[in-house]
Amino acid sequence: MSFLTDSFLSALKLMASLDAALIEIVTVSLKVSVSSTFIACFIGVPAGFVISTYNIPFKRSVITLLNTLLALPTVVIGLFVYAFISRNSIFGTYDLLYTQQAIIIGQSILIIPIVCVFTLSAINRIDKRYRKTALTLGANQVQTALVILVEARFGIIASVVAAFGRVISEIGISMMLGGNIRGFTRTMTTAMALQYDKGEFVLAVALGIILLSISLSVNILLNYFQGKSSE
Amino acid sequence: MILYSLKNIKKYYTGRTVLDISELDIHSGNIYTLSGPNGAGKTTFLNILSFLLMPSSGRLEFLDIPVKFNEKYLQQLRQTVVLVNQHPILFSTSVYKNIEFGLKVRKIPLKKRKKMIESALDLVDMKGFINADARHLSGGETRRIAIARAIACSPGALLLDEPTADLDLESRLTIENIIRQIHAQKNITIIFCTHDLSQASRLTSKNIYFLNGQIHDIYHENIFKGDLVASKPDEFYCKINEKILIPVQSTDKDKIKISIHPEKINIIDCKKKDSDVSLSYMGCVTHLGMEKDKIRAVIDIGISVSVLMEKSEYDLHMLRLNDSVKINFDVSGTTIL
Repeated sequence: MSFLTDSFLSALKLMASLDAALIEIVTVSLKVSVSSTFIACFIGVPAGFVISTYNIPFKRSVITLLNTLLALPTVVIGLFVYAFISRNSIFGTYDLLYTQQAIIIGQSILIIPIVCVFTLSAINRIDKRYRKTALTLGANQVQTALVILVEARFGIIASVVAAFGRVISEIGISMMLGGNIRGFTRTMTTAMALQYDKGEFVLAVALGIILLSISLSVNILLNYFQGKSSE
Repeated sequence: MILYSLKNIKKYYTGRTVLDISELDIHSGNIYTLSGPNGAGKTTFLNILSFLLMPSSGRLEFLDIPVKFNEKYLQQLRQTVVLVNQHPILFSTSVYKNIEFGLKVRKIPLKKRKKMIESALDLVDMKGFINADARHLSGGETRRIAIARAIACSPGALLLDEPTADLDLESRLTIENIIRQIHAQKNITIIFCTHDLSQASRLTSKNIYFLNGQIHDIYHENIFKGDLVASKPDEFYCKINEKILIPVQSTDKDKIKISIHPEKINIIDCKKKDSDVSLSYMGCVTHLGMEKDKIRAVIDIGISVSVLMEKSEYDLHMLRLNDSVKINFDVSGTTIL
C-alpha cells in the first residue's frame, strides 16, 4: 500500500515540477489524438449524414459493417496499417512507419466508424419535418443539410468527444505504428507500458493521473452534450 | 391568372392510388379550402403544390410553365410557394432566426431583414416574441410563428395544412383572422386544408372536396364505416356499432363506407308521439353554428353527426347546446361510397 502512496505522491511532485519528459509525452499524445479526431470528424460526420439522409445502395449492409467496425481491436488496425506502410509495402516509399502520421492514420481508422455511427444515429433522431421545412422555405440541398446538422449538433459533438476519448486511451496502434520512440512517438499509454516494464512507476502513475483526468473531462463533456441532445 | 394547372395528376404509394386528379385550375389571389375525410389525399395534394413531392404521373403547370421535377429547378419554384405543416416545427433557435432563415436563403440584405421580420410578426400579432426561444412556445404560438416565417418570404402562394387542427376556439379564431388579414393585405393565394366546414364557409366559397384521392363535386359529410346487415329481404342497414343502424340501399359488399347528407337527417320533436318513426336515436347537441343562411348542429348519438337545417327549422325546434334531441335517418339521405 505504501508503494502506491509513495508512487502517487512522487507522481504529484513530478507533475507539479512540470517535468519536461512528462510534458513532451502528454503533448505528443494530445497532438496525435486531436489530429486523428479532426480527420475522423471530417470524414465521419459527412458520411454519417449521407448514410442517414439518402437512400444509398446497400444502406443496411453499410450500417451493419460500420457497427461491426466499432468493435475493431486496435492491434488488428495496427497490423492492417503496418501491411500498407512498412518498408516493402505499397506506401513504403512515404516512410510513414514509426511516425506520428502513422499513429494518426491508425487512430483515424479506429474512430471514423465511431463518429459515423454516432452522427448517423444523432441525425436519425432529428425530426423529418426539419428537412421538409427547410426545403419549403426555399433552401438548397447544402442549406438543408446545414439545418439538420445544426439541429443534431449536440449528438454530433457527443460523437466527437467519445471518439477523442477512445483514441487518447488506446495503446495498440500507438505501439505498433509509432514504435514508442522517445520525444517523437511516445504517447501517454505507450510510455506507461514502458515504465511498467522497467519497474519505474512514478512516471507511469503521473501519466495515469493525467490520462484519467483527461478521460474524466471527456466524460463530463460527453455527459453534458448527451444531456443536451436528449432535451 | 391561373397559378396552378393540373392535368391527370396521379400519385401512387406502394401500388395504392392516393391522388387522382383529372383536371384542376387554381387561380391566383383567391382563398381555397381543401376538405374531405382523413386519407382523402389533401396533404399529398399540398405536398405536390409545394413542389416537395413529385407526382407519379401527369402534368403540373405553375404560372403556365410545366414543372420539371429536378432539384435545381424545384428550389427556384419553392422560393415562390411556402407550405406550413399541420404540426409545424420551428428550428431550435430564436423566433427572429427562424423567420430570418427564409430571408437568408433568398439573399435579402441584412438591413432589410429586421424590418421584414417585424412586419411578419406584426401580422400574426407576435411582435413581442421576436427574441423568444422558439422551443418554449405553445402550440398556437408555434403555428403563428410558422405562418409569420412563411409570410416573411413573400410567397406567391401560401399553403396551410390544417392550420387550426387541435387548437382551442380562441386560437382557431386568431388563425382565421390572420388568414383573412394576409389575404387582404398581401393578396396572396391561400390554399388550406380543414375539416371544419363552418370555418371553410367563413373564409371562402371556393372549396375543393377530396374523397379517396379524387376531387368530387358533391360534398360528402358524416362518413362512417360499418357492416351491411339486412332485417328484411328489401331493408338494408349499415351497422356502425352495436346500437346504431343507418338505412342504406342494397349492395353486394359486406363492409361499406357511407355518407349521410346533413340536410336529410330529421330532427324529431321529442314531445310528439312518434310511433311511426323507426330507428330514431336520442342524442345531445354538442355544437351549433351559422353557415351562410343555414344552421349547423353537431349531435352526439354515440357517434357525432352533423345536421344542416334551415333557420326556420332551427327556430321550430329551438335547439340549444346540450339539449337532448331525437334524430332519424332516411335511406334517401345515405350514399354508399
